[in-house]
Amino acid sequence: MYTKEEENLIVLASFEALTAKHLNVLYSGFEKTLPDFEKHGSFLIKSVGEGVYNKIRSNFGSLEYRTRLFNAIEARNITCVTVFSPDYPERLKHIYNPPAVLFCKGNVNLLKDRLFAAVGSRRSLQNVLKQCTAVVSELTGAFTIVTGLADGGDTAVIEGAKKSGKIISVLAYGFDHVYPAVNAQLLKSIEENGLVVTEYVPSVPPKRFNFLERNRIIAGLSEGVLVVSAGKKSGALNTAAHAVEAGRSVFAFPYSLGITSGEGCNALIKDGARLVTEAKDILDEYGFEYRPEKARELTADEIKVYAYLKEFGGAYVHVMAEELEIPAYKLIAVLSMLEIDNFVVRLGGNKYSAL
Amino acid sequence: MLSKITSFALKGLEGVPVEVETDINKGMVAYDLVGLPDAAVKESKERVRSAIKNSALYFPVNKITVNLAPADLKKEGSHYDLPLAVSILKASDQLSADTDGIVFLGELALDGALRAVTGILPILISAKAKGFTRFVIPAGNSNEASYIEGTEVFALGSLRDVVDLLTGEKAFAPVAQRSFKAAQSAQKYGSDTAFVRGQKVAKRALEIAVAGGHNILLAGPPGTGKTMLARCIPTIMPDMTFEEALEVTKIHSVAGSLSEEGIVTMRPFRTPHHTATVVSLCGGGNAKIHPGEISMAHKGVLFLDELPEYTRRTLESLRQPLEDRVITVARAGGAVTFPADFILCASMNPCPCGNYGSAYLTCSCSPAQVQKYRSKISGPLLDRIDLQVEVDGIKYDDLTGESNEESSEEIKRRVERARAVQRERFKDEGTMLNANMGEKQLKEYCRLSPVCENILRAAFEAMHLSARARSRIIKVARTIADLAESQEILAEHILEATSYRSYDSDKI
Repeated sequence: MYTKEEENLIVLASFEALTAKHLNVLYSGFEKTLPDFEKHGSFLIKSVGEGVYNKIRSNFGSLEYRTRLFNAIEARNITCVTVFSPDYPERLKHIYNPPAVLFCKGNVNLLKDRLFAAVGSRRSLQNVLKQCTAVVSELTGAFTIVTGLADGGDTAVIEGAKKSGKIISVLAYGFDHVYPAVNAQLLKSIEENGLVVTEYVPSVPPKRFNFLERNRIIAGLSEGVLVVSAGKKSGALNTAAHAVEAGRSVFAFPYSLGITSGEGCNALIKDGARLVTEAKDILDEYGFEYRPEKARELTADEIKVYAYLKEFGGAYVHVMAEELEIPAYKLIAVLSMLEIDNFVVRLGGNKYSAL
Repeated sequence: MLSKITSFALKGLEGVPVEVETDINKGMVAYDLVGLPDAAVKESKERVRSAIKNSALYFPVNKITVNLAPADLKKEGSHYDLPLAVSILKASDQLSADTDGIVFLGELALDGALRAVTGILPILISAKAKGFTRFVIPAGNSNEASYIEGTEVFALGSLRDVVDLLTGEKAFAPVAQRSFKAAQSAQKYGSDTAFVRGQKVAKRALEIAVAGGHNILLAGPPGTGKTMLARCIPTIMPDMTFEEALEVTKIHSVAGSLSEEGIVTMRPFRTPHHTATVVSLCGGGNAKIHPGEISMAHKGVLFLDELPEYTRRTLESLRQPLEDRVITVARAGGAVTFPADFILCASMNPCPCGNYGSAYLTCSCSPAQVQKYRSKISGPLLDRIDLQVEVDGIKYDDLTGESNEESSEEIKRRVERARAVQRERFKDEGTMLNANMGEKQLKEYCRLSPVCENILRAAFEAMHLSARARSRIIKVARTIADLAESQEILAEHILEATSYRSYDSDKI
């Protein structure tokens, strides 16, 4: 099922000591289909050390190692998409140090779809997350969405795309691990309904710097990146930087002053990122026709409450009850209905905000 | 000569008749007490000896044998002093009056005075049920005894008085009957919903909780008035009936925590600290089994502040009593059942730093931390808490001041109406509240229209509710419908009920 060239590449990618950069050098930027140990051996020895290099060489030639590796990959139901495979996204080949092998779980065909990335930081505001879910859900009409697996922003993105199954989650570690652990269930559901991708062999644990490396794949796979939330120093900003480097468009949600989780987004807009408040802003850019879902007709009370929340951004139930002169218990029911239909979002402490 | 005097032992809240038999023989001077007396009863020998001597009576210098029958029941407490003394006086021929059918209870001081003892009320009630109607008790317990009809209770000050009563030398009036009057809410409780400004959602939730007997969890940042809200619960509960008051008083009498009044007129509000142990919460003890906090909260409120701070073991021990409304405490000496029918009100911070949802401070916790903090409370326990409400994240200071808030009295009236509806509905199934409905009753009384079913389904999807929230939401919706005096559960009732589910959500 894998060609000889692919097999060699997978074996080389399985050595934890060899990074994407090493493989790029070894294959001369993947213009060659065979590793040139003669020419680049000295570079590798300098980089990884002679002992490791010798071990790599001997394992590379070992049939036993090879069998063990492919058995392990098969046992985990992993599909390997190598840079030599026709399934490998063309766009990804053109970034700096493209991954040699993508270890995949799920629907590999999604890689052929039009891809768009959406990322957010872990600490994000509730209403932004809800808005993000809504926007992403509309984007799935045109794109398959690429993101990570962190809680907060990424989870909200997954939430929006999960239903359509058009979701690719890029991990920064191997399939034997889950990080953050709370998202184990979520990860499983993406494996079943979408696609999970990583450049690391199953045994690689989560390491801090791998997350930044991973971001180049998120940006590289996609035609554009939406930054939902980002603090001043945020992984989401790093993804945006990779996107700029790879020549992809960057989009960002705007924030009002004084919100730390939005400072990065505002900075991106200042630097020329496209400002996004609804899915239309992105779809227009790529020439898709935007067809909004037909909203339900609201009742008189619902209109009153929704308009109030729109005007003030967010309000406590007891304040609204007084200002709108609706008894609290009625107001609670109205707000619940609006929440179910995605007009408002409930923040902590009985505060609601319009979407 | 042999004498027999009747007294009572307490087994949990049940009184058991005890015969105090004294035999005085010629022989070596001795004073033996048999029949499984505990330390306090053994020591009574010395008190009885001095009390008799100091009451201008004579303590026999012979071989005295006292037996407490039944001999296999452990006798605890100091209330055997009086029956012992009377029994010795009779056996030594200093007292010849008829004592048949009279129950003697009381502790003696060395000077012969009678001291108040614990557990008088449950003994009186059990004894009356067993056909005893005449009692001699310490004067200090007279209030407690004044609510039992059809009894003749003499509350006396000293052993001398008891002898005078029996010989007829002096006349004493029996304790006068008093009629029961429940405490009128607010003034006496010192709390009132009118004092809490804002917090409309939480107050509404309290109203629903009390109306349907639901347990409630209040979550909110520190200093937002959670405790103050909890203290309002007893003020909106219906007044105690006499039967309820007697039941509660029995427990408090055994625990020895009765006030001067002698009867509990206010619904209990118990606040055990989070260092409480399982035994202090559920009841227990070595020889005498004491009721725990959950029984002391019977017919009232058990308030657990900072719920996640309690040890897991303590919290899990609440599960069975929350379900059965009684607790059976089993010890080597036997098992005792105490009632434990209370509304559980718990409070907690929404996250480790406490600021999640605060209007002023930003929460510094990651979603994972918040999730971990909340998961300290186990699913099965949360299952028994029908209402999970967030309080407004506003400072207490902003809440005080001018306002025209509803008073407890007004809310109480609505609660009473809703309870009347439930009494009518469950009249063939014993006294029951919506919260106690089982699967069968849910099917029978909480049928949902297709519209409601659809809304509920949509709510589950939109709000990420866990499956086990379903029956809870329906029960709460039933209570909301009862408050609105609606026969059917309507869409608005379901919608309101779904909003009291903050901690059911799979997601933060």
